[in-house]
Amino acid sequence: MSTALWLAVVVSALGTLLMRVVPFLWMQRRLNSSTGLNNMPQWLGILGPLMIAAVLGVSIVPVNPSAVSWIATVIGLSVTLLVWSRVRSLGWPVAAGVAVFGLVEVTALIW
Amino acid sequence: MNQAASHSPLRSALQGVREAIPLLGGYIPVALSFGLVATQAGFSTLEATAISALIYAGASQFLFVGMIATGAPLWLVVAMTLLINVRHVVYGPNLAALLPRSRHWPWLMHGLTDQVFALALTRLPQLPEVKRFSWFVGASLLAWGAWIIGTAVGATAGEAFTARWPLLGEIMPFALPALFLTMVAPRFTDKRWAVAMGCTILAALGLTLVGWSNVAIPLAAACGALCFYMVTFETRRRTS
Repeated sequence: MSTALWLAVVVSALGTLLMRVVPFLWMQRRLNSSTGLNNMPQWLGILGPLMIAAVLGVSIVPVNPSAVSWIATVIGLSVTLLVWSRVRSLGWPVAAGVAVFGLVEVTALIW
Repeated sequence: MNQAASHSPLRSALQGVREAIPLLGGYIPVALSFGLVATQAGFSTLEATAISALIYAGASQFLFVGMIATGAPLWLVVAMTLLINVRHVVYGPNLAALLPRSRHWPWLMHGLTDQVFALALTRLPQLPEVKRFSWFVGASLLAWGAWIIGTAVGATAGEAFTARWPLLGEIMPFALPALFLTMVAPRFTDKRWAVAMGCTILAALGLTLVGWSNVAIPLAAACGALCFYMVTFETRRRTS
């Protein structure tokens, strides 16, 4: 890689890091300071969980979309939700969902 | 014994590592693909791995190597890479109240990806304050390490790997939607949140299906926020 290309990598990396760090530190300093905010703005508290929902929406699309992979996705997510409603934790529902998703994909491939 | 005295930073970090393991299902296949794509675009294994270690933002990395391969001007490559990553701006402020102050944040926040943010926003409020810093270190370092190693493996043996286990690359990424579903599910007990969340998920899904995956997250979240405020407006008008 040329020097110019390395520079492009470094500038992109620094820019991305600043977008992650600066708003975090700014908010941390403003919170509970005498001249700043006592609580996080309401709109920001709403946007956070909605960002997670958006990441879910993006990640639902299968790697290779097909009828089988969409069916496997629906079944896998249903099983994930079912197990979550029983155990209310993160680990087991994900493991069960992935196992069932994989089972449907492999079964479809064998048939 | 009080909570602070019985706290072990190592144990909290290991808890973070354990709870971030489901993220790897999504990280490893994508990192392998990135390593493969980068080498096919003319980058060496070391260069591809360095891009993953330094930029550490999936979608923008693919765009970066893709644009370089097509000969795009460097200023445009950098501008587009940063534009895709602008969504990270709202992640930090959401975690600011949940994490303690530390001089290490300027480098630790490098690990704040979409997935780490989602996991942290869900788990941190459930953890005692003394555990949160170490938990974040453990979870984010595992994700970063997996991303770097995955890229290196993808760059050196990606072609052979995907040829030998083609289905694995399709099955493992399902860990991500499964994980995010368990994170948003508790909000569905509230009607207002359910409408906003449902709207966001459908918008993100739709935008991804039409090929707008790069802007799907901020646009869909904005749609959801609009729904959230519109539901309030309707309720208030009816009661007045």
